[in-house]
Amino acid sequence: MKLSKYIIDKSLSIILIGISYFIILMLLNSFKIHKSLTVAITIVFVLMLLLLFIINFVRKNKFYNELITNVNLLDKKYLVLETITNPSFYEGELLYQALYDINKSMAECVRERESSIEDFKEYVEMWIHEVKIPISSLTLLCHNHKEILDKSYLEQVRKLDNYIDQILYYVRSNYAEEDFIIKETLLEKVVSNVALKNKDDLLESKIDFIVDLKDLSVYTDSKWLEFILNQIINNSIKYRRKTDDSFIKIYALDYSDKTVLYICDNGIGIPQKDLSQVFKKSFTGENGRTNTKSTGMGLYIADKLCKKLGHNIEIESEEEIGTEVKIIFGKNNFYRMNV
Amino acid sequence: MIFMRKIMIVEDEPTISRELQHLLVNAGYETQILEDFANSKQEIIDSKSDLILLDINIPELNGELLLKEIRKESNIPVIMVTSRVNEIDEVLSISYGADDYITKPYNPTILLLRIQNIFKRMEHKIDNLRYRDLEVFPGRGILKNNSEELQLTKNEMIIFQNLLNNIGSIVTRDDLMTDLWNNKEYINDNALTVNISRLRSKLSDFGYEDAIETRKGQGYILL
Repeated sequence: MKLSKYIIDKSLSIILIGISYFIILMLLNSFKIHKSLTVAITIVFVLMLLLLFIINFVRKNKFYNELITNVNLLDKKYLVLETITNPSFYEGELLYQALYDINKSMAECVRERESSIEDFKEYVEMWIHEVKIPISSLTLLCHNHKEILDKSYLEQVRKLDNYIDQILYYVRSNYAEEDFIIKETLLEKVVSNVALKNKDDLLESKIDFIVDLKDLSVYTDSKWLEFILNQIINNSIKYRRKTDDSFIKIYALDYSDKTVLYICDNGIGIPQKDLSQVFKKSFTGENGRTNTKSTGMGLYIADKLCKKLGHNIEIESEEEIGTEVKIIFGKNNFYRMNV
Repeated sequence: MIFMRKIMIVEDEPTISRELQHLLVNAGYETQILEDFANSKQEIIDSKSDLILLDINIPELNGELLLKEIRKESNIPVIMVTSRVNEIDEVLSISYGADDYITKPYNPTILLLRIQNIFKRMEHKIDNLRYRDLEVFPGRGILKNNSEELQLTKNEMIIFQNLLNNIGSIVTRDDLMTDLWNNKEYINDNALTVNISRLRSKLSDFGYEDAIETRKGQGYILL
């Protein structure tokens, strides 16, 4: 609260008091009151007024200053009421009560939304869980009846499974707060799972799969990382150059403050103008439009998951040369507590 | 194989349990499907199985609790199967004493490899495989008869062991490929062909001609 502004705000009262003092002075004068009494009355009058003014200013200043400073300092501004003391003057109490009611009704609104999102999320998770059962049956059926069902059936089933995983992780990346477990994970194990998942595609597309991870491990949620890697490798397969020497190379380097996982390919690459946007939702870019149909969701979800896990994902690419995706795992001791 | 290993299938989806049974029987296992979920623990213990494939999401007791109950009485190997993709379930299952954990939809060949691994681990002595008069030492990559040793590369040993485990029956190229990839050897089709022909010529140089036969369009068979 600024004193000057407060004074301007109170100017009407000050003017009225001034006028009334002037009238009193006139009255005193007209009744021929002794000069020293007039001076005494003036002193009492002015002192009292000043005292009243100061007390009022201090009381209000205390409350409003606290309110304004805390609002500015707080990250979640709606929590400000929890941080200030109840005001000791009537107007302040009114304001405080109103803010309290507003907050409460907003909180109820938010809680309602949250629980409806939570319901939705739970339903999607359950649905995915259900739909994995027939997919599982189909996988087994395809395997057991290879004589009549060729590999293309299995390939379609695999695609189904991948799209379903996308929805699962989309929901998890957007709505789940703490749906993951960070623990020490061998990169080799995660890569191996992803490799096995894509084995048929890789072999069919004649892509050499080169892995060099040197027993490095990182702190992550292995299922989430598996999904992220799967998206990247699916892209590498999808956007390969149809030559004989296609490869996907996965390796990791260990630095003092981080471990970096590299996924490189010699595919068609990404145009420079699209590169900065590949992590945006529903962005398909030139490649996604011209070559194969793309949903533009894979990398978006991968990026979101990385952020939640505290990893960084970066992409570099040159057209007709290839693409390199880097996943950077910070070496933070924070996660080591539960080891 | 003289005796057949028995695997108990605990799964409430009939198509899956039927197809699982088909898969396991083809791979040379005896199977039993759990019928009475209300009395699952007793039926599992009474079945005297060598391994249990246990789905987490089953009626009555859920899989994790059932596993906990079983562990009170038996050390029988358990592979947990689930369609929930979630690290928490995995950690929980392992902590309750599951030997392995696999998520649906799984690659059937990999399921078979995991089962094989568990049985291999159970036998303790990994190095007592035999092929005719040869002793097989997978860890050292060596085949040995009375006087001589034959050194195999890692890939050749994986292929040989897989053929040996299925001796007398056809192993598809895809099965071999899955086994190799499962062992983090991400080789391509040409390399597999080269590896097999190298293995074959090594064996025939060692005096085992025609040990591996090619069945056109189907795969390979170790005789």
